[in-house]
Amino acid sequence: MGAKGKRILSAVFRYLVLAVILIFLMFPLYWVLMTSFKTNMEAYRFPPTMVPEAPTVDSYISLFTVDNFFFIYYKNNFIVSGVTALVTLVLAVMSGYALSRFKIGWNKWIVAALLSAQMFPIVSRMISLYGLLGKIHLINTRTGLIFALIAAMLPFAVTLMSSFFDGIPRELEEAAIVDGAGRIQTLFCIIMPLVKPGMVAVGIYSFLMTWDDYLHAVTLIQNDNLRTLSAGVALRYLGELSYDWSKVNTISVVGILPIMILFFAFQKHMVKGLVAGAVKG
Amino acid sequence: MEKKTRVRKIHMTARERNDRIFAGALLLPSVLITVIFILVPVVDSVLKSFLDYKVKNIISGVPGTWNHFANYIKLFNSGKLGMAIVHTLIFVVGVVVAQFLLGMALALILNSNVRFTRFIRSIMMAPWVVPTIISGLIWMWMYQPQYGFLKFLIQQVTGGMVTDFAMLNNPATAMLGIAIAALWKQIPLTTLLLLSGLANVSEDLLEAATIDGANSVGRFFHITIPSIMSVIKITVSMSIIENFKQFPLFWTMTGGGPDNATTTLAILSYREAFVSNNLGSGAAVTTIWMLLMIVVVFVYNRIFKNVEMD
Amino acid sequence: MKKRTLAVVLAMAMVFGTACSGGGGQTSTEAPATEAAKDTEAAKTETEAAAETEAEAPVAADTEITEPVTIKFANYALLEAGYDVYWNQLLDEFAAANPNISVELVTAPYGEIVNTVVNMAGGGDKVDLMYGELDWIPGLVEAGLAAPVADILSSELMSDIYPNILDACSIDGIAYGVPMYVSPFLLYYNKDLFEKAGLDPEAPPTTYDEMLEMAPKLAALTTDDGNKVYAFGLTTASVPVSGACLTSSVHNFGGTVLDADGNLAIDDGFREAVAMWKKLYEEGYNPENSKLKDLRNLFALGQLAMYYDQSWGYNGVSSINEDAQNYIASAPPLKGGSGDGASVLQAGTLMVMDNGDDLRKAATAKLVDYIMSEEKISQYFEEVTPAYPSRQSMEDLDVVKNSSILAGAAGSVGNVKPVTFIPTLSDLNLEICTLAQAVTLSGKDVDTAIAEFETAAENVINQ
Repeated sequence: MGAKGKRILSAVFRYLVLAVILIFLMFPLYWVLMTSFKTNMEAYRFPPTMVPEAPTVDSYISLFTVDNFFFIYYKNNFIVSGVTALVTLVLAVMSGYALSRFKIGWNKWIVAALLSAQMFPIVSRMISLYGLLGKIHLINTRTGLIFALIAAMLPFAVTLMSSFFDGIPRELEEAAIVDGAGRIQTLFCIIMPLVKPGMVAVGIYSFLMTWDDYLHAVTLIQNDNLRTLSAGVALRYLGELSYDWSKVNTISVVGILPIMILFFAFQKHMVKGLVAGAVKG
Repeated sequence: MEKKTRVRKIHMTARERNDRIFAGALLLPSVLITVIFILVPVVDSVLKSFLDYKVKNIISGVPGTWNHFANYIKLFNSGKLGMAIVHTLIFVVGVVVAQFLLGMALALILNSNVRFTRFIRSIMMAPWVVPTIISGLIWMWMYQPQYGFLKFLIQQVTGGMVTDFAMLNNPATAMLGIAIAALWKQIPLTTLLLLSGLANVSEDLLEAATIDGANSVGRFFHITIPSIMSVIKITVSMSIIENFKQFPLFWTMTGGGPDNATTTLAILSYREAFVSNNLGSGAAVTTIWMLLMIVVVFVYNRIFKNVEMD
Repeated sequence: MKKRTLAVVLAMAMVFGTACSGGGGQTSTEAPATEAAKDTEAAKTETEAAAETEAEAPVAADTEITEPVTIKFANYALLEAGYDVYWNQLLDEFAAANPNISVELVTAPYGEIVNTVVNMAGGGDKVDLMYGELDWIPGLVEAGLAAPVADILSSELMSDIYPNILDACSIDGIAYGVPMYVSPFLLYYNKDLFEKAGLDPEAPPTTYDEMLEMAPKLAALTTDDGNKVYAFGLTTASVPVSGACLTSSVHNFGGTVLDADGNLAIDDGFREAVAMWKKLYEEGYNPENSKLKDLRNLFALGQLAMYYDQSWGYNGVSSINEDAQNYIASAPPLKGGSGDGASVLQAGTLMVMDNGDDLRKAATAKLVDYIMSEEKISQYFEEVTPAYPSRQSMEDLDVVKNSSILAGAAGSVGNVKPVTFIPTLSDLNLEICTLAQAVTLSGKDVDTAIAEFETAAENVINQ
């Protein structure tokens, strides 16, 4: 076989592998979307229909009209994830800056504590956490959940942020201080604008990860009006009575949509930041 | 970088003292939150693993009593612990390896001159942002034993030989079923990170190797892999930790069944602590779980340390 | 690199360090702990004595509640489609009639609500009332949560509950729950499929042998879409309620799981039942590893000819396919071996917890009285799902008598064998499911699987 034949063969092979992996990644999403437009009776047909025969938006309508608690979960999740991401970001900027700029003996211990904190399974701390939040009367409140989630997000966020500060030349601060700027002013006015991509990455990442939370929300919240999406979906739609697969698929679609939009809107920053931070860290 | 700080002067200058105060103030909130909400509860749960500590202790406020390692002894004797450790390791190793290979394959392809790379790179991230609970639901629907898509697919592929394929109902395939759901969600990020590493591999080095007569396989193992070693290391260690901690997928998809085939340490600890309401015993499982994870990460770091020294 | 190694070392130090200090630290707590235990025991006997002295209804349910009071009601059904409308309406009506009582709802999914209630209590926050399964009682009593119902609810209500039903809620002779309604695990079957298979739709099987004779004809059917029809559904997936259903099948064969003292008592009936589970699977009659909801789903779609369920499973069936009411019929549980087809009682049960506040107790008693009123219970049977009443005064409720769905299984509610309440009943139930999966999905033989089950079950029982 000549070199040209070989090249063609390798190209065919590459496209084939690419297609298989992409189908694996994309087909389930297509399938969910299609099922959400089927009636339950059609969803339960075998062999299944690839495209809904009688497309219907009944599931969507009933979700928006009957199951309005779904939007309570939704709203709660936006509040919880939004606040968590914001606070995490602020704390990560502060701590990341301190870790990156001031080489003090305690740094390695703090970094070690943060890294080890990432490794502990959530189940292992749930009972103690419950007692603790109970004592400070934060159980069954969004505030309590937010604190627990911030703690879960911080380790990664801080290390990520500090690697961004590492990339900013120190001379800038020296110059600012010579010009008579205070430390806080230097941090917020001179340095922070330079790590904007990192901040976007940390913020979105925290948001995405808290949107994914299930165990914290299930354990720390008992009031249906305060529940977040994953917990709410798991308990409402994995109920003991029966599956309503059309509805479950509809909920999956609606549950994924906002986060998908957010991600694709900020994808450029997010990907760049995450890659730079994670790989350097 | 640490040498300098280790050379301590006896008296700190005013600037250094100010630095310490400023840095301390910046760090304090994060450290406090991490200690209070993560480290203290973890230590507390390790302590509880040595106690006869059940739900009634919490409710009546009676502290647990030291029970001479009874929680651990019971776990070892019941045979469940060994099984759960094996299942956990199989899952972690299987998913991490498969994820790395598939992620690397996809990254290599996207890094070569195929069409629509930019577009594919963008849409391939979609599964990564799907919440875990929902990805569990999606795959449960794919695997549904009576009208699931996979049953249909298997029936077509085998020409009607296998007509009742039910992934999660078979003890032999249930773990695979969950692993696939985990891979689906995690491959995109792995690919993304590896791709970023590949983008930084020096073209000059690759060209030089080609001139020296290295074929593409040789170039890959001698130039590409060593150049992106640090990226690989981070990617794989993230994946190890993530999969070691996996709970929601198991809990929603199989709950540890069928016939305990997917009972991992996560499921066992949750069942001991929250179904049997025996918190001491559940804490014993999480303690072993943490130790195992620490050992694995430690060994992993060791191996990679040697590799990097080459 | 360094950082990561250090992190690992630190984490290890934390785990090991606390492990070592654990030994020393705990011995000191032992003494006060036992003392405290004594204290609570003393307190318990005191309250018991107190309860005995004022034998007349501890808190009269008809006390006027003049001050505002808030009680907490844990109820998973508020989250379940098909049940939420009823409960919300009931609570609205109750609120309108009792402006001084506000009911704060605690909700969680079916599988999580016990944890939720227990966790809340751990944080110092006890609910006053909980609605759930009969089998949740022992766990809640063990946790020190469920209180004797006689201490809180009205004596009028208590004396009206069938004594044997109250017995089923009792541990050591003290009742810890009041069932709203009851049902055995009964046999639901599809009359249309029976007809299609050439069987008499009015003559369902009465024994497992008869069922096995009919099964091949039913299994040979397909639905209009060409889908497989399963002959007989028995839930085996790992959820506690499946364990209860499997226990019921053991009782069908005259077997036992636990003796009256709560010890494992595996007998011939037990073995025969397990062998039957294996047979049902191997013949392809039983949809593998299914939850009750999966069976309801298949039944609603005409893919399942017979299955065991609680009577209220009907709600799950009809919420998927309203036409199901035209073909669904019930029959008493099957008899197997030398057994007489005894079953296990299931009940939607109200459990109370003592917060030490008389006003809250009175308000709780009022709410329970309202839930248990003839008006509300009939409405439940009519609008939500058919079941059997637990109050003697409702014996002749028209809605039960005229229920075409329940008619076939009439009388079976009397043929139930009590389940010994051990604190780890839920866990034991899960082990029974694992046993069923071992003989079916894993293909183990009956004796090996039972031997494995014995080891696991002993461990669960002797915690």
